[in-house]
Amino acid sequence: MKYLIMLMGSQRDYDMISGKAVGDAPAWTPEEIGAMHEFMTKWNGELVESGEFVDGRGLTAPVHARRVSVRDGVPVVTDGPYAETQEVLAGYTIVECESFDRATEIAAKLAHTPHPEHAQLGRDWYVDIRPIVDGFEDLEL
Amino acid sequence: MADAEVEDLLRTLAPQVLGAVVRRYGHFDTAEDAVQEALLAAALQWPKEGVPDSPRAWLITVAARRLTDLLRSEQARQRREDTVAQWVLPEQWLAPAADRPASDSDDTLILLFMCCHPALTPAGQIALTLRAVGGLTTAEIARAFLVPEGTMTRRITRAKQSIQHSGIPFGMPGPEERAPRLAAVLHVLYLIFNEGYASTSGPALQRAELTTEAIRLARLVHRLLPDDTEVAGLLALMLLTDARRPARTGPGGELVPMAEQDRSRWNAAYIAEGVALISATLPKGTPGPYQVQAAIAAVHDEAPHAEATDWPQILALYEVLMEMSDNPVVALNHAVAVAMARGARAGLDLLGELEADDRIARDHRLHAVRAHLLEMAGERAAARASYELAAGRTTSPPQQRYLNARAARLAD
Repeated sequence: MKYLIMLMGSQRDYDMISGKAVGDAPAWTPEEIGAMHEFMTKWNGELVESGEFVDGRGLTAPVHARRVSVRDGVPVVTDGPYAETQEVLAGYTIVECESFDRATEIAAKLAHTPHPEHAQLGRDWYVDIRPIVDGFEDLEL
Repeated sequence: MADAEVEDLLRTLAPQVLGAVVRRYGHFDTAEDAVQEALLAAALQWPKEGVPDSPRAWLITVAARRLTDLLRSEQARQRREDTVAQWVLPEQWLAPAADRPASDSDDTLILLFMCCHPALTPAGQIALTLRAVGGLTTAEIARAFLVPEGTMTRRITRAKQSIQHSGIPFGMPGPEERAPRLAAVLHVLYLIFNEGYASTSGPALQRAELTTEAIRLARLVHRLLPDDTEVAGLLALMLLTDARRPARTGPGGELVPMAEQDRSRWNAAYIAEGVALISATLPKGTPGPYQVQAAIAAVHDEAPHAEATDWPQILALYEVLMEMSDNPVVALNHAVAVAMARGARAGLDLLGELEADDRIARDHRLHAVRAHLLEMAGERAAARASYELAAGRTTSPPQQRYLNARAARLAD
């Protein structure tokens, strides 16, 4: 069974981990950013090792997003449709594992992601896990 | 396909479908309802319209769709926040071999482990096992246990919620946890069998559907774990005990003790199967209690008539069983074996020791055994008093009638 693990983030979060000071919080140091990347790399590597890793990607900052919508029957493109603090998909990992519970365990490990004392999300941290529509091959013997 | 065949198919598929849905989507409690609805839909449609090419995939699809509907309506009622209290922390999680495919047999076993989880009450374990793994309806289970359907519904709901809220992940228990959890599963199946075989309440002495179901489930576990000797022992014990069922009651529903049963009415096929199974299992290692009890049942069943019973062998087996557990009912049966092998007086001496045991001192079975042994010893008046005492202690009407009849036979 495949599951999509969705990591959420806002433009503000992107700014913080790219070494910018946000509000009155100092910028993350290169060491702090390095520790986080190292953690994520290890988490990912374990999934590759166990054979549960399918795909994983990080998305560029939300300011780069474009939205195509329809107005008066005509497609219109909007640049940067998100507010600075709006949480959007920041990255995802697709795992293929034996159960929803296992996918949950994998995602829960991310709760230990290292971050500096002063880094305040201004919200509760979370990741979402979504079962991927698949045929029933994986349930059939 | 005939209705009965469809019903058999559905009962085989029920745990596999529930397992697949819970494995994929979680929500044990709601998934169980969804699967019940899918089974019901199939029971109505398939006999008329034919069985789909892949019945299992059909049921999983319908159940998954129904689960989505149920979750949506729950969400509409209230902002659902299922905070699972006790996730096993990832650092304590043992990743299974990643190449192990999820098979339906695993799912059935995992479900059994879940339904017999120590977090549930024994009554909850039994009810949930019969429903989630056995595929019985709540109404059927309520009827078997002689309780109102509403009571059984609440019992099952509570058990399902306990599983949902305890955060037991859908997976096999870890290696160190596995033996005690399997023991719990076997105990639940044993209780289901006993409830059917020796019901302590209600007008009928036996509730055959429960013994049949317990045997079906024991066969299932034996198929899944063919190398486990205690699983084989439990299945053999059930077969060898249930084999005597046709002779256990007389025409008026009265209880017939083993010594007086018409052995031609015993189920020869079950005896042959049970004997073959226990004979093949015993040499495989140190036998556990289910195997020893099965061996005792086999010695009884192999005797062509009561006088031919090999009591010394039964006595030796009870002594092995006594070593394993401190169980007063085993001690009581041991006393009977001693009486049969060495004379009533030796058995009565052992009963004296049991009377100091609070767990059985007031049990009707102790007084019934005492009455039998006194009768064997020729002490008619004392035997009669013990029969009457035992009759007053039991809650089972057939038992009462039997014990009162024994007492009446001794009236001078």
